[in-house]
Amino acid sequence: MAQPLPKGQMASMPKRIAPWPPVLRAFLWAGIGFVVLAAIAAWLDPSPNSPYLTAVGSVAGWFGALIGWLLGIGGYDYIVRPMMGYPTPRVRTSGWRRYYEYALDHKVIGLQYLGASTGTFLVAGLIAMAMRFQLMNYQPTLFHYPEDYLNAVGIHGTLMMFTVATVAMVGGLGNYFVPLMIGTRETMFPKASGISVWLVPIGVLTISMSPLLGQWSTGWRGYEPLAASDGSGLLYYYLGVFALTTSSLIVAINLTATILFKRTKGMTWNRLPLFAWGILTVSLLNIIWLPEIQATFILGMLDKVMPLNLFNVFGQPLGYEYLFWLFGHPEVYIVVIPALAIWNEILPVMGRKSLFARPIAVLGLVFVMLLSGMVWAHHMFTMMRFSEMLPFSFFTEMISIPTGFAYLAAIGTLWNSRLRITTPTLLVLMSMFNFLIGGLTGLFLADVPANLQLHNTFFVVGHFHYTIIGGMVFSWMAAMYYWLPKFSGRTYSEFWGKLGAIWVFIAFNATFLNFFILGLHGMNRWVSAYPKYLQPENFWTSIAAFFLGAGFGINIIHIVWAWIKGPKVKENPWDAKTLEWQTSSPPPAKNFDVLPEVVGSFYTYGDNVPDPVVIPSVQEQTPGL
Amino acid sequence: MGSVLVFGLLWVVISLLGEWGATTWINSAPDGTGPYFGTASNLGVIGAHAFDFLVWVAVPIFVFVVLMIIFAMIKFRAKRGEKVIDAPKQTRNNKVFVGSWILISILVNLLVWLHPNASGLEQVFAAQLPANNPNPLVVDVTARQWEWIFSYPQYNITQSLNANGQDTLYLPVDRPVKFVLRSYDPFHTYDTAIDVIHGFWIPAFGVKYDVIPGETRVIYITATKLISTEQNPMARVQCSEVCGPGHPYMEANLHVVTGLAFAKWAKQQASRS
Ligand code: HEM
Ligand SMILES: [Cu+2]
Ligand SMILES: [Cu+2]
Repeated sequence: MAQPLPKGQMASMPKRIAPWPPVLRAFLWAGIGFVVLAAIAAWLDPSPNSPYLTAVGSVAGWFGALIGWLLGIGGYDYIVRPMMGYPTPRVRTSGWRRYYEYALDHKVIGLQYLGASTGTFLVAGLIAMAMRFQLMNYQPTLFHYPEDYLNAVGIHGTLMMFTVATVAMVGGLGNYFVPLMIGTRETMFPKASGISVWLVPIGVLTISMSPLLGQWSTGWRGYEPLAASDGSGLLYYYLGVFALTTSSLIVAINLTATILFKRTKGMTWNRLPLFAWGILTVSLLNIIWLPEIQATFILGMLDKVMPLNLFNVFGQPLGYEYLFWLFGHPEVYIVVIPALAIWNEILPVMGRKSLFARPIAVLGLVFVMLLSGMVWAHHMFTMMRFSEMLPFSFFTEMISIPTGFAYLAAIGTLWNSRLRITTPTLLVLMSMFNFLIGGLTGLFLADVPANLQLHNTFFVVGHFHYTIIGGMVFSWMAAMYYWLPKFSGRTYSEFWGKLGAIWVFIAFNATFLNFFILGLHGMNRWVSAYPKYLQPENFWTSIAAFFLGAGFGINIIHIVWAWIKGPKVKENPWDAKTLEWQTSSPPPAKNFDVLPEVVGSFYTYGDNVPDPVVIPSVQEQTPGL
Repeated sequence: MGSVLVFGLLWVVISLLGEWGATTWINSAPDGTGPYFGTASNLGVIGAHAFDFLVWVAVPIFVFVVLMIIFAMIKFRAKRGEKVIDAPKQTRNNKVFVGSWILISILVNLLVWLHPNASGLEQVFAAQLPANNPNPLVVDVTARQWEWIFSYPQYNITQSLNANGQDTLYLPVDRPVKFVLRSYDPFHTYDTAIDVIHGFWIPAFGVKYDVIPGETRVIYITATKLISTEQNPMARVQCSEVCGPGHPYMEANLHVVTGLAFAKWAKQQASRS
């Protein structure tokens, strides 16, 4: 816990203004904003069909709610009022309430992102359980109308992608650890960062509530021209994703600038920790591609309310598909690059062995980033001209070369190591196993003749769950166990940690290996009912999926327990070398009393290797730092 | 060096076993379709060959990484309770290993792009040339929310229906079929303004191609096996692209019959429509 300020100092600060909890105020202001703007829209542009809430009104109202929400949560007190000359109020620095308020500390913001991601993971995970329940039977059981089921698929996918997969390790772990790992006390744009995290809850709520506006059946890709004639809930899908991607975009800008400009003395590019490299490459990807999908979604939304005839049958429906995947494929690398970086962050520490071929590991991340914009149309082999098939399959296969570099470094590091098989190690190795299956099945999908059969079947669904859950979620869990002592100064139980890891590993493979078989047997995607012959296989898949859901629950409960009640542990329990471990756990409000100086590589082990970090005595440091 | 030898030996042996297992798996189905299933058409066979080849490519890669993980967990494990000390050998680079890794990964990727991908595509493209499809049966396939409509202009069949009035697809075996995929059919009124994309997929044929509003696309397929939905549920027409609430139900029965049986069926249908 960060130390509260001494009494005298507290009194001299301006008093906090918020009369009641900011979250409640934000909800109220959001409600007011919604009603006001929706009413204005209904007045300016009345619709005979819906006197109170028109399509235009629901969009205008949403922007009203967004503004009200952001002002209520802290934008008014901390940004608008100070601009008008009032003093900036103090930001709460201790107690649990600071997590439900506007914050400036990157660690609080990181935990806010992590909490939002974890909560959404549970919600979207429960939706997945409901979907698997439906699929236990070839006839509808839970969702009686296909549109209910399809809407569930769409919400599951959208929430998982934009709030979990792209956020947990970037907005969450990235915000928390990058400043610590590069030796700085704050991020470059803390004020923007404090606001950006609050775009996540409103994005999640928007997407979850979207069916109220009218059910939609397009799934997370919002394919046109179905979107053009689909339910109005799609408007909130566009807007929710808009909020979530804006949040990720701010994270990307903030962390890129932080890594570029705030590294401590001696933190050269050659010494930059792998995880920071991962976050940097991901952030560059985000900066390039998020604006692209945002523009596409805004156009899609305008097309729906106006209509502009851009992507509906009178326009270019396939244009949307191309624009979507132009972002959509880099998105999968946005998801997996932090995971690949985490492997090579944890393995040297656990193996007490120098990171093997470090430049190659870094280059792998960078080349994946560079190539990722060249492969998008491999999602559209069944739609494209024959002449496009060869180039897109070419780049798709080539991108596995730099992806493989993560394996090259990991394997080289494992070799001759003294591997401590802890829960994080186990999860990293499991992640390597799972992502391998994800990658190898990608080999089949990249083969165009086979793709024409496998496309849009459960084979594809299995493939991307292997890469996302197998690659990213397992690595996320590894990182959580690895850094748990850092977050809280406490540690987990090795027994429960390993049990939890093995549990999800078995249940995960039992579930998703079946997806491949189902796909080969002719089970297509987006179906709430299917031919009877597929039922037995689906039944067992669902049983395994329920075990998987329970397994995630066990791990989450265990982590939360360890965080609050786990046994206390020494400051640097893994004897890691990176900077985040060179300060107390949990880190103090300003991270380091004295900024450390880097004089060597964090990833070099062996006898007579000097400590890579020196802590200068206080006098040596320039006062401004 | 000892570990390298042991690992290398294990890798070779297990990979060979794996290849043997994969081959058995591929040949497990009575008709040699292995795990791929969709082989009842000329295009499906191309995909199946690609699939089988890629299984063979994947096995040694899979074995290498998984064996490495297990090997490391056993051989390089620090004993429990042991004092934490750095690994005695600190190899930070190995030019031979890195160089051959990069070279092999480039070669493997080039290989699978050329074969089975490019070589398979060449066959697919060739199978699409009208010259290679003499005397084709023309089937107009109309996809709309949510129905498949099949008409046979050469036989004056505007919509082929079974006895229950459901759309069905009848095809003669071993005769090229020219599927004209379109989303509009002059014999049925349909609001084209709300038209959407559908996917024309016959799982047993191992191929699908999308039906795009406003476009007419042609795909040539030759059915190579006598199958029907009743006897093999993969022999069905299934929409493979989400197209709204009716998507799960957008399917039609398929019958691949002999040329003679087809001619008889066509006559019957023509007199009905
Ligand atoms: C907890 C275990 C999970 C299970 C049992 C599960 C199951 C499913 C199922 C049954 C589908 C529908 C497939 C279809 O009919 O098209 C699906 C779709 C999807 N899932 Fe999951 N899922 C899980 C976790 C995740 C996670 C963690 C992510 C990403 C972080 C994810 C991302 C997606 C996406 C992007 C889709 C596609 C949605 C669409 O087609 O619009 N899932 N999942
Ligand atoms: Cu992709
Ligand atoms: Cu469909």
